[in-house]
Amino acid sequence: MSFLSFCQWLGQTPLSVWLREAAYPFPILIIIHVMSIALFGGVVVIGNLRVLGKTMRNVPVSQVIGQFRTWKWVAFAILLISGTLIAVSDPMEYRDNIMFWISLGVLLVAGLNAAIFRYGIYRSVAAWDEAAVAPASARRWAGVSLFLWIALIFAGRATAFF
Amino acid sequence: MLLAQIILQGLPEAIPVNPIARWTWVFPVVESIHICGFTLLVGTAAILDLRLLGLCFRQLSISQVAKNLSPWINMGILIQLITGAYLFSGDPREYVQIAAFRTKMLLLLLALIFHFTVIRKATAAAQDSASLAWRRPAAVVSLGLWVSVLLAGLWIGNL
Repeated sequence: MSFLSFCQWLGQTPLSVWLREAAYPFPILIIIHVMSIALFGGVVVIGNLRVLGKTMRNVPVSQVIGQFRTWKWVAFAILLISGTLIAVSDPMEYRDNIMFWISLGVLLVAGLNAAIFRYGIYRSVAAWDEAAVAPASARRWAGVSLFLWIALIFAGRATAFF
Repeated sequence: MLLAQIILQGLPEAIPVNPIARWTWVFPVVESIHICGFTLLVGTAAILDLRLLGLCFRQLSISQVAKNLSPWINMGILIQLITGAYLFSGDPREYVQIAAFRTKMLLLLLALIFHFTVIRKATAAAQDSASLAWRRPAAVVSLGLWVSVLLAGLWIGNL
């Protein structure tokens, strides 16, 4: 099955038709999506700012990041599920929407960046946990991370514009 | 609503030279900054409320968490007021007639007043050893206010 016929099939499933045509599901999806952005974004921002030495300097880095680990993953799961359902509501529309694919690309890069931090410099966190400002390599990661999540917000908003 | 009528009389028509009224792409760009701003504001304000409820950063005193977060909460408020006012400037006459917009402004006013009076007092150093009896419900009210401002904002977009 080609991707085009997959999108056509998906767009005709009862779930997709319901999400697209009923009055309430779509606005509720948007509300859930945006609330999870606030939750996820808030947690990510605090972690990044701590690594950059801009807040909570007297709390170990691992404690600031560890504090919200569960919430972060819960928010991220809600973000992904609600985002997927928004895409399912009109696959043919999003298939042709360049900003939708750019959003996915930015999300992928942001995820890779987070994984590189987690399994790279963060493994030595014990050595700089108490430092008010993390080493340059960790700060670089935090700056890139902030930039990518902001870019994702722009790309996500632009998806609705195009 | 009489007040809205009076405000309406004093408002200019949408100004054609205003970039946000002139080019369609300006609105989503400014709105994206507005979304980043509320993530910063609601995210950091919520963490302070959660600390009052004893749900995070328990190793720090409440006033220390407030001292760490306040600059970021204030920056979030500043970004939101500037970008929000600019979004509003695109078509002021239209916005004041939308119920969702008026609701949001009322909730925003309440949230700001509550934050700078009750929450500021609840997170002051002098309160650190005091009872949490009234401060926990205050945190719940604060959380509810910020979330309802956010919801009212989304409501504007859906009309």
